[in-house]
Amino acid sequence: MKGQEWYQTDEVAEEYDAKRFSRGGRLIDGREKRAVLDALSPLDGKRVLEIACGTGRFTVMLAERGADIVGLDISEEMLQQGREKAKTAGVSDHLQFMRGDAARLPFPDDHFDAVFAMRFFHLADTPASFLSEMCRVSKDQVFFDTFNSYSTRSIYNWALPMGSRLYAESEVLRLLHGAGLRLRREEHDFLLPYGFYRAIPNSVAEPFRDVDRSLGDSTVGQRLSSVSYWDATVK
Amino acid sequence: MKESLMDILCCPLDKQDLELEVVRRDDDEILDGRLVCTECGEEYPIEEGIPNLLPPDMREETPA
Repeated sequence: MKGQEWYQTDEVAEEYDAKRFSRGGRLIDGREKRAVLDALSPLDGKRVLEIACGTGRFTVMLAERGADIVGLDISEEMLQQGREKAKTAGVSDHLQFMRGDAARLPFPDDHFDAVFAMRFFHLADTPASFLSEMCRVSKDQVFFDTFNSYSTRSIYNWALPMGSRLYAESEVLRLLHGAGLRLRREEHDFLLPYGFYRAIPNSVAEPFRDVDRSLGDSTVGQRLSSVSYWDATVK
Repeated sequence: MKESLMDILCCPLDKQDLELEVVRRDDDEILDGRLVCTECGEEYPIEEGIPNLLPPDMREETPA
């Protein structure tokens, strides 16, 4: 796992949310939360597992909407922040954080209704093994995002400190098939890559996002989008 | 970690049942302790309320 060392340092964990979700980053955060809610709702009483939950920004949100949720990550520092968030939100009784390896999950087969991972597969060096393990512990849904190889992200992707893997659509479809998953729904967004939104001032973030959205709706825009959301079901 | 989590947790290596040993707890949850696999005997620590189910080859002592 390329991100393993990078994300486990205290400094990275502490600055993680502030750095990621300032400026245009908030637009990204909002879009990702919508993608997760669209895919996983209705949530009340649903058994959910989040892989690579980090500081729990999705985990806590889903717990607040009634999901019975487990957040798994390798970083102790990130999870401790998640625990604080969960306490503040008053959802600790149906949210549990734990450390674990996404390729060797500590759960029996078919336990969860839905298993999802955001910003995870770009850090995965063995995506097939992670996806089949997610499939093993889910009895219905598997949801995740990828960054796309034929997109604007490839401009700066090579320079990222944690390393980042880009996927072609054909590769994702092969992975789904190999894991025993059937694609239910796919969405493609962000013609302008995340790195762009994090770099620009707040005042112009919204206008750029509006243009991005309208161009992204076109056929070419869909093909060149930098982010894809994949909603699959266990065969 | 809530004690109810024992209903779903299993050993990440052989998926067998785990046994809970509590060292420290408060009214709500277990803060420190360990989970021991009833089959292979592997131990998984619970630290500051967070169970560590990383397989032994991925723990800090032996970076992957």
